[in-house]
Amino acid sequence: MATSFTSSISMQPRFSQATTTRFSLQKPVPVFKTNLSFTLRPRSMPARLAISCAAKQETVEKVSEIVKKQLSLSQDQKVTAGTKFTDLGADSLDTVEIVMGLEEEFGITMAEERAKEIATVQQAAELIEELVLEKTA
Amino acid sequence: MQRSFSIELPSLVPLQLPSRMETHLWYILPNEVKSTSLLKQYSQFLSPSEKDKVVQMKGNKLKKNALLARILVRTTIARYQTNYVVDPRSLMFKKNLYGKPEVDWQNQKNCNNPPLHFNLSHTDSLIACGVTVHVPVGIDVEDKERKIKHNVLSLAKRFYSTDEVSFLSTIPDLKVQRKQFIKLWTLKEAYVKALGKGFSAAPFNTFTIHLKAGTEGGYNLCKTSEVNSLEETKKCNGEWKFAVLELADSHYAAICIEDDLASGGAPMKVIVRKTIPFVEDELISESKLL
Repeated sequence: MATSFTSSISMQPRFSQATTTRFSLQKPVPVFKTNLSFTLRPRSMPARLAISCAAKQETVEKVSEIVKKQLSLSQDQKVTAGTKFTDLGADSLDTVEIVMGLEEEFGITMAEERAKEIATVQQAAELIEELVLEKTA
Repeated sequence: MQRSFSIELPSLVPLQLPSRMETHLWYILPNEVKSTSLLKQYSQFLSPSEKDKVVQMKGNKLKKNALLARILVRTTIARYQTNYVVDPRSLMFKKNLYGKPEVDWQNQKNCNNPPLHFNLSHTDSLIACGVTVHVPVGIDVEDKERKIKHNVLSLAKRFYSTDEVSFLSTIPDLKVQRKQFIKLWTLKEAYVKALGKGFSAAPFNTFTIHLKAGTEGGYNLCKTSEVNSLEETKKCNGEWKFAVLELADSHYAAICIEDDLASGGAPMKVIVRKTIPFVEDELISESKLL
């Protein structure tokens, strides 16, 4: 199972823009399931493989830092792109504080509806890059 | 067979359903649940997907709280089945169109299922479940001493309505301001959760919740809509009832229920109970309404 997953990912060119290769990452898991021939369960999914072609690793790391800071997590706490905020114990007030922290860090403004839909580090990173691109365009 | 575990635990004391305009609020203090064997027994009541979600949580404390949240919901709802005894394990849940969890009664033999509504909220140190009959309910709990990393007014300006920002700005004592911010947060969250239509249905800056003038602790909801960028109309109606109270001297709990017009404007009645499922239930006779 794992090998077929890996081979399908490696076909995605690393340099392609997020707009062309975002096959499922911004949508919740059920859509992801329909694209692939087997069921993925969060704890067995190598999240970092899944995200390498979307948001930059640098953005993901900055987001992780801010999340850890807001939730007062130790530096040892493993936070990857696929980590859900709720799995780290974030409630809705934490999420808006994280959003504010991200807005301050990246100099952007997120519309509340979109911000509240962010569930993972990956989703936050993608939205940030999208907004930063819009800003500099 | 798993049956031997349910024999060890005493059965739940059955209860009368809440009356209209009454909310039953149950809460667990995770720090009071220490027995690992009890926690193990609790896990027997969870569905496979609930168990998966518990496992997914990062860290033992979060895992324990996730487990307690599920046992609280299951046992709370099971208590109100007055026609026959319901095994908390047998309850099934589904989500509405917008993702709000509700009970899926279809597997229950009895067709006369009570129109029970519930809503769950948890913090690090307190997990609460609100139950009503006939009307949707939303609850939110927050630690009174919760650390807020940003400036409270900045957060309010970013997320709350203009009237709420004005209200908070006029509070001179920063500690009181922070507490009021948190209270308002719980009220607003409770409303959105009662509405059950997802976050985008009611962005925080499109409605104001404020104390009704001249009444004891009644709260009003006013929705603002922009006619054009210069004018805002405000519609305040009595469709929703609110209550905020203090739990365990440590938390604010806000409850929002849809108003039943037959109630004649009477305030919401809240009955609070603290529980350790299957171990002890305590009726909290004085729930301080704020």
